[in-house]
This record gives sequence, structure tokens and C-alpha cells, in this order.
Amino acid sequence: MMLSDMLLVAKKEIRIGFRNPWAYSFLILFTVFSLSLLLINARYEVSGYSGVTGSMLSLILYLLPLMSLFLGSFSLTAEKEEGSWNLLSTYPLGTSSFILGKYIGLSVVLLTILFFGYGVMGLASGMAGQNFEINTYLLFLFFSCGLVLLFLTLALWIGSLAKNRWQALTVSVMVWFFTVIAWPTLLIAGLGLFPYLWIKPLLTLFTLLNPAEFVRLFVVIKLGGGSVLGPEYYQWVNWIQGSSGSLLFLLLFFFWLLFSLTCVCWIWERRRARV
Amino acid sequence: MHIDKRLVIEALEQVVLVNDHPAPAIFIQADGVVIQGIRIIQKQGGDESTAVSVQADGVMLKELEIRTHGYGIQLRDAHGGALEGNYIAWDRSQGPSTLGEKGNGIDLYKSSNNLIEQNVIVNMRDGIYLDNSKDLMIADNRIFGSRYGIHCMYVDGTEIVGNIGENNITGAMIMGVRDVIVSSNSFAEQRSNVNSQGILLYDVRDSLVEKNVLEGNRVGIYLERSRQNELSYNSISRNFVGMQFVSAEDNLIHYNDFVGNVIEAEATKSESNQLHQNFWDMAALLDLNDDGVSELSYAINPFYRNLITRIPAFQLFFQSPGIHFLSTMAEQDRQGWTIDPSPGMKLNMPRMDLDADADNNSLPEGTFLIIVASMLLLVSGLTIIYSRGSKE
Repeated sequence: MMLSDMLLVAKKEIRIGFRNPWAYSFLILFTVFSLSLLLINARYEVSGYSGVTGSMLSLILYLLPLMSLFLGSFSLTAEKEEGSWNLLSTYPLGTSSFILGKYIGLSVVLLTILFFGYGVMGLASGMAGQNFEINTYLLFLFFSCGLVLLFLTLALWIGSLAKNRWQALTVSVMVWFFTVIAWPTLLIAGLGLFPYLWIKPLLTLFTLLNPAEFVRLFVVIKLGGGSVLGPEYYQWVNWIQGSSGSLLFLLLFFFWLLFSLTCVCWIWERRRARV
Repeated sequence: MHIDKRLVIEALEQVVLVNDHPAPAIFIQADGVVIQGIRIIQKQGGDESTAVSVQADGVMLKELEIRTHGYGIQLRDAHGGALEGNYIAWDRSQGPSTLGEKGNGIDLYKSSNNLIEQNVIVNMRDGIYLDNSKDLMIADNRIFGSRYGIHCMYVDGTEIVGNIGENNITGAMIMGVRDVIVSSNSFAEQRSNVNSQGILLYDVRDSLVEKNVLEGNRVGIYLERSRQNELSYNSISRNFVGMQFVSAEDNLIHYNDFVGNVIEAEATKSESNQLHQNFWDMAALLDLNDDGVSELSYAINPFYRNLITRIPAFQLFFQSPGIHFLSTMAEQDRQGWTIDPSPGMKLNMPRMDLDADADNNSLPEGTFLIIVASMLLLVSGLTIIYSRGSKE
């Protein structure tokens, strides 16, 4: 794998990313939405786990996965549809350089959108003299980045398996709906079939498989809201609240990245061999 | 020190009484004793070891400073006394200890008509524990870092007024009482424990809970198996759950303010409570005839609470966007729900603004926020400009 190749792909991705009107529409959507939420809650202090931070968390969970899935999967299918991958695969460019370059480029685009939204939000609340606790602000920023980067790996999966943009769109919406909205419904229905004692371990396992869910729980616990999860998760919550919890989150995060990117590389490598 | 005569002991200078024995440092058996301004260090712990023990009527303990490894002040069959302006703290000099080892700050048993006022209690088991006593007045005490701030068991006709509790497991635990007034107290930040509440009312009847401030607790007010109480003009804000009813019937809940709670209220098996003119900041409100009362009712959706009562493991879904989605699908059938038919349009109690020193603290933090935000904006702006401007 050549580092320079990877950077080249990343650079190209960033350039294309910012020509894409989708990127700006998401940028505007996210900025306007977060500002409106701040306005609605202008009277209250934004810190800890409260109604304000709860609704901000929901906004992040609705919007950011959708944004990552669309931008990420479209970028990969575009390569196939426009034939540039066919051309690139004749060059001595490694598949892993290509995929990693894509991932890094797309991450830069998505994080820029996030930074812009958070920048405007922070400035607005700072200027208006609202009591926005800096720790809460940074926590939200970091976890939004985490969420975006994790869903981007899912997006690469979708982009690799889908034949064209329409397919990618359909699958993206489906994945978003299942992981964000229908998740509790599915689990409540599904786990109801299992014996009572299996429910908690299975639920924990499934939670680790859904980035939207584990990121949400981490934010809630780190905001100090862990006690709402009840006595069932008492030890978990105590443990995650400490520094080992952050470490676990990082581990889980990197495991997710590594696993997904490896799989995506493998898919493309196989396709390439067939070309 | 054993006092069995009517005495007045007043410390003019710094007086320290150090007790190395399990027996109380001061043991009062004579009526009308007054003790003021002594520092007491009770070094021995153990079952009922206490710094001050009172078994007489009309005793007055004033401005004592107690550090104890057992209980602080115990009253047994002691009536008509007064405890004022004392400071009671757990003695930490002997290393850390668990809640189970600790004693209560002020502990009353079968002791009626006492006044407990302006005491400060830190890091004890229960701050003020009241058992089988009547007609007490508990006013303006401050309790921090204990298990229960004020713990009442079978105390009828008691008034709990103007107390402050912070960072306890539960602010006020009130069980098995009648005719109690809980008024103008402030209980905040009781949320670190999975069983934390601001005020817990269990088996309470004919009592009045009014004008309390409950902020940042796990559950603001928790009401279980209680009847015919009135809850009014409480300010319930920024709690994870504002108010929770479990098998509570015939209570009157009106003119309370629910602001910025993650979930405003939850109710199970509590159908016949009367709610009206509470202010719910998340409710959709519509006032057609300008009477300050919304024509749209506010209903407490019991879906999530019912779900986790059956299977507690699903508490992991607290406020998950998906649970919200699922609960709204159950909106049609509102039978058996707790409903406020006439929510208020405005706050019933004026909100206390953050006090001055909190504002001062937040000023540099605000500038820091602006700096961080500008940097983020700058980075994103530069990235966009650079990538759009660069050719090939």
C-alpha cells in the first residue's frame, strides 16, 4: 500500500466532496437545525443530561447517520457508475490505498460539515451569553465525530455492495431506519421470543453491533445520566463513567473501523480480480 | 460526660471534647439542659455509638460541632427540645467507610414536638432520621453527601420546611406518614445512584407538598401507594424523570412547573389522580380563549414505563429515538392514562435565575467556548475554500 497513492485518492475525494451540492445541503440542514434547537432552549443551561441535551442527542442521532450513509455510499457507487474505478483498476494502485483514501477523504468532508455546524452553534450560544457548558459541547462534538466515522464504514459497505446510486439510496435509508428508528421495536419483538435470562446479555451484544445505539448510551452515561438505565446496568455504568469506559469506547471504535474497512477492501479486491 | 442535673453549658472559647470510648461523649438525662458551642469528636464507631445522646425533655443543643464515627445526635423519648445550628460530619480521619458503617446525623425515636433548625449535616448515613415521632418542625437544615437527607418513618403532623439537600442518594424519604407538610425545600443533584430521587413519598396520606425546587435529580418527585395528597407549585426542572407515580391514587397535582426534564412524568396504575394547570414545557399547547389554560390536554404516555416494568433490561432504551417512535404509535388508546386536561400556558412559579457567582464562573468558560467554536469554524471554512480553490 502506497501512502502517496492513498493521499492522492483522499485529496481527490475532498475536492469532489465539496463540489457536491449534497454536502452543502447537509451542512445547511445540520447548522440550521442545531441553531433552532438552541433557540428553543435559549432560556436553559446546556449541561449534564437534561431535556435540552436529550433533544440535541436525538437530533444528532437522526441526522448524522443519514448524512454519512448518503454521502459515503454515493461516492463509492459513483466510482462504479462513472467508470472511473474501471480505469483506476488498470493502474498500479492498491485496492487498500483506494479504499482508505476514499475513507479519509470522505471523513474530512463529513467532519468539516460537523465542525461548521458546531462552530456556528458554539459561537451563537457564546455570543448570546447562553450557559453552554464547554465539557458538554466538546463531548457532543467528539461523539458526533465518532458517530459519523462509524456510519461512514457502514456507508462504504453499502457503496461496495450496491450496483448504482438508486440501490445505494434505498439500502442507506433502510439501514438508517433499522439502526436508528426501528431498533427498539425489532429488539423488543425479537428478544421476546427468548427466555427471560437471555434478554439482557443478548441486548448488550446487539447494542455493541449498532453504532447509533452504543454511541448514544456512551453520551448519556458520560453526561451523568447513567442512573436512568436502572439497577440492571449499575456496574456497567460505573465502569464506563471512569476512564476505562473511554478506553473501551476507543477500542470498540477502532475494532469497528478495522473490521469494516478490511471487509470492504476484500469485496473490492474480489471484484477487481474479476474485471 | 453524663448530665443528670438541669445545667446550662456554654463554651465561651474553643472547647473540644474528645471521646475515645463507645459510650456517648455527652449523655443527657435531665430535663431542660442547654449545651452550646462545644466541639465534639466521637472516635469510636459501632452499633449505637453516638456523640450526643438525649433521653430527657426540653433539651436544647445549639451550635455544636460534631465529628463522629458513629451517630451524631440521638434523641430517645425526648420531647419538646430544640437542635439549632449544629454542624455534624462523618469523621474521615480514620480512612474511608461504607454507608453501612455510618450512623445518622440526627436520629429521633419516639421523640415528639422537637424543633430541628439550621443544622448542617455532611456525609452521614441519613442526615435527619425521624422515627415514630409526632409534630416535629424540621426547618432550614442543609444536608450533603448522605444516603437520605431527611428520612421520615411514621411521623404524623410534621413540617419539613426550607431545607436544602444536595448530592444525597435521596433528598427526602417520607414513608408511612399523615398530615405532613413538605414545603419550600430544595433538593438538587440527587442522581448518581440508580435509586436516587429528590423527594420520595411512600404510603403518604393527606399531606401537602408545595413550593419545593427539585433540580437535576434522577427522579424529581416519586409517589408510590400514596393517597389524597396535594402537590402544588413545585418547580421540577432538569431531572431525568420529573415526576413518577406508581399505584398512587386520588392525589391532586396542580400548578407545578415541569421544565427541561428528559422525561416529564411517568405513571403506572395511577388512574384517579387529578392533574390540572401544571406547566409542561414539552407539551403542545393551545389557548383559544385567552384564559392562560391550554385547551389541548397533556397525556403521560405509559408505554416505556410499562415495558421496563415487565422487562427491566429494556431500560437501555431510555429516550432512544426508536422508543419515542414506538410510543407515539400507541397514542390512540388513551384509556387509563394519566392526563392533565388543562395544562398551564405559563410558568406557575417564577424561575430563580442562576445566582450571581455562577454567572461569574461561566464568563471565562463562555469565552473559551467562543474560542473553540471559532477555531472549528475557521478549520472548516479553510478546508472548504482550500479544496474548492485547488486545481488538480
